Amino acid sequence: MQNMIKYIFRRIVAVVIMIFLVMTVNFFLIHAAPGGPATVMTGLEFPSKEIIEALNKQYGLDKPIAVQYLEYMGNLLRGNLGYSYIYSESSWNLIEGRIFPTLILTITSSVLAFVIGVYMAIFVSRLRNKYGELSASLLSYILYAVPSFWLALIMIIIFSSDLKLFPTSGMLSLRYSYSGIEGVIDFIHHLVLPVSTLTLIQIPVFYRITRTSIVQNQGEDYITTLTAIGVPKEKLFRKYVMKNSIVPPLTIFGIMLGFSITGTVILERVFAWPGMGRLMLDAISRRDYQLLLGIYFLMALFISVAMFVTDILIAFLDPRVRLT
Amino acid sequence: MKKFFLVSFLIAIVIFVGVASTTPTRGGTMVIAYWGDPISFNPDAQIDDAGYGIYGSIFSKLVTLDASYNVIPDLAKSWDISKDGLTYTFHLRKGVKWQDGQPCTAADVVWTFDQIMSDKAAPAHANFAAVESVEAPNDYTVVIKMKRPYSAFLSFLAWYGTFIMPKHLYDITENGSPVSWLNNPYNQHPIGTGPFKFVKWVKGAYVILTKNPDYFLGEPYLDGLVFDEIPDQNTALQSFLNGEVDFDDNVDVSQLGILKKMPHVLIDDSLTPSRYYLAFNVGRRPSPFHDKEVRFAVAYALNREQIFNLAIKYGEVAEGFYTPAIPWAYNPSAKIPDYNVKLANEMLDKAGYPLKNGTRFTVTLVYFQGQEWSDMAKIIKEQLAKVGIQVNLEEYELATYIQKVLKGGDFDLTLLDGFQGPDPDNLVLRVGTGGDINVMGYSNPEVDKLLSEASQASNIEERAKYYFEVQTILSQDLPIYPIAEVVNTYAYKDYVEGLPFTLTGIGINNYAKTWLKK
Repeated sequence: MQNMIKYIFRRIVAVVIMIFLVMTVNFFLIHAAPGGPATVMTGLEFPSKEIIEALNKQYGLDKPIAVQYLEYMGNLLRGNLGYSYIYSESSWNLIEGRIFPTLILTITSSVLAFVIGVYMAIFVSRLRNKYGELSASLLSYILYAVPSFWLALIMIIIFSSDLKLFPTSGMLSLRYSYSGIEGVIDFIHHLVLPVSTLTLIQIPVFYRITRTSIVQNQGEDYITTLTAIGVPKEKLFRKYVMKNSIVPPLTIFGIMLGFSITGTVILERVFAWPGMGRLMLDAISRRDYQLLLGIYFLMALFISVAMFVTDILIAFLDPRVRLT
Repeated sequence: MKKFFLVSFLIAIVIFVGVASTTPTRGGTMVIAYWGDPISFNPDAQIDDAGYGIYGSIFSKLVTLDASYNVIPDLAKSWDISKDGLTYTFHLRKGVKWQDGQPCTAADVVWTFDQIMSDKAAPAHANFAAVESVEAPNDYTVVIKMKRPYSAFLSFLAWYGTFIMPKHLYDITENGSPVSWLNNPYNQHPIGTGPFKFVKWVKGAYVILTKNPDYFLGEPYLDGLVFDEIPDQNTALQSFLNGEVDFDDNVDVSQLGILKKMPHVLIDDSLTPSRYYLAFNVGRRPSPFHDKEVRFAVAYALNREQIFNLAIKYGEVAEGFYTPAIPWAYNPSAKIPDYNVKLANEMLDKAGYPLKNGTRFTVTLVYFQGQEWSDMAKIIKEQLAKVGIQVNLEEYELATYIQKVLKGGDFDLTLLDGFQGPDPDNLVLRVGTGGDINVMGYSNPEVDKLLSEASQASNIEERAKYYFEVQTILSQDLPIYPIAEVVNTYAYKDYVEGLPFTLTGIGINNYAKTWLKK
């Protein structure tokens, strides 16, 4: 227990230092990109020098970069994620609205992909059939290779345009406004296609890793020994092989959860889903520095926490892993 | 006899139904597949193209533009311009109310314009450069005094960033200091005088509006208007074909072919005052194109009809040096050189660029991301290779492009488009010495003089004469090589009637006269 507390404390310190470094590097990197928020906003239609100067002054971008950095980090320490130049609003206000749509999409599909992918691998392994193995591998390769925007559009064309089962895009029906339970059903109805697409894309990752892990474990010496002393195959698989094989996909699952806050730029765009990915992409192309840094901060935090939780979880599952 | 009655009865029904279908029906909600997310609902403080398409339904201007770029009355029912062009007197409609019930008066107009003139970052700020003062002698009269005559002023007043805003909500203080109009809470839920009232905005998802029954041009036919933000054009197309959307405002030119074959789908692909053109580096960093002969040689080597057919497909091949979408200012006799490879080769030989190992010289063509741009660039590269000019292509995202081309002048050739209205005075920006969008670094004192005279001339015939001459000079100097005219890309279902771009005399983004025939 003492070890555990020490471990947690050390990890927290590491996370704080890491986030500080991430923010510093990001700050200077994104300021180094060509153009600035004023350049993008004025674009090719209004590029007068007066407007650009006035905007830079308004945004505080006329100050030396070191001053801007200290100001930004000072605000961050006080819990202020910064201010979006473009939207004239605090970064947090803009990010907040995107968290729920993002997480419900990414986490739901990560969980589904994990369950389906791992189960598929287990099923194929127990089947011990060459053709079963082959077709599952083929399917996973195909899904892995398919570009997500293409799959998304094909899903739309099949399930929305042809079969008319699901709405094409968005999060809610806009022509009629539903409330209460009807509103929830409407939301889920809109959620099905994006979640299924994202799940399909992620299944191969879990399938392949679990499958490899099972094959590896089945070849271990202890399995041979246990088989030799007469442990039934079924028990052997369930008690030893499966338990040991679950660790690698679980690690991947943890990393995926960490990245869940970043959303999925491409699928959000295709399904017109108002998630974090699109907000981030807009912030990048508009050079909305502080909004972008706010998103990066949240990402760094989320990933650190997810990795941390995964590490602890794995330590419980696998006593060989020491928390030191 | 019975038969006769029956027939006449049937005819009567047919006529009745026919008539009934042309009288607008009220009710219904129109859903628009919209391309972008507005920054805020302050229509004048920032450049916000995504907002501009929505502001026109919530707010009104003093005067506005219709789809043919005519200046038409809006809050002002009429106006007089003094003979010397120095005094504009606007007569406002009486009884106009803000959507919160307060009266809209000349005081709101004066406040809005003063605000634009005091905020250098306001998009319309530069268009007010010639304004001396804005005054309200009474509640329904606005007088604008000019420092110098500026004939494009009315068009610019009717265009961008000039929506009249409610003084009573924006002229406020907090703890004794005035609140910046950028931070006003009404930027999130606007109050205007337009045909629709703001209901809800979920950022990145949709904007919902409901009709304003007190609208001064009459109660809108639609009950509501929804701007459904669908950034992906393929998805927008599917939503439109699936009936979730009535009007697709996010059509890519490449989709027009498919849409034209669809039943119950109507398309507007008329010319818009924007054009694709190739700009030469005429006076920025050193480039072979500082030499006029070389520019002409390139023009002869290029086949813009082929570029158009392969890369653009919809619109028109360019023939002159200004947009034909503003016909009064378009000079049809200032022509672009036509394809003639032999002549191109001769000119390049004469200009001192002989063919060595199949190449005369190497240049860089810089363009920004986008299918049509990269297609055009590739075809230009191929066409110029045939006369021995080797073209290196460089593609950048917009911010980097602006930095490199607009600010840095670091290119030989570049591809551009962009709005050339609402008035030909826009040419000052594109070809005037030091103009904001004059990427070429082109400078001709004669052009500058003509443009300045055109902007001060009072009547349209006189102005047209100056602009015609400018285009003639451009055709001789050739700082740009126009390729094609850009078209509107709107698709809508055949039951949607009275969209603003199908009418004249109503503002470009005003859906007050739109109705659903269902």
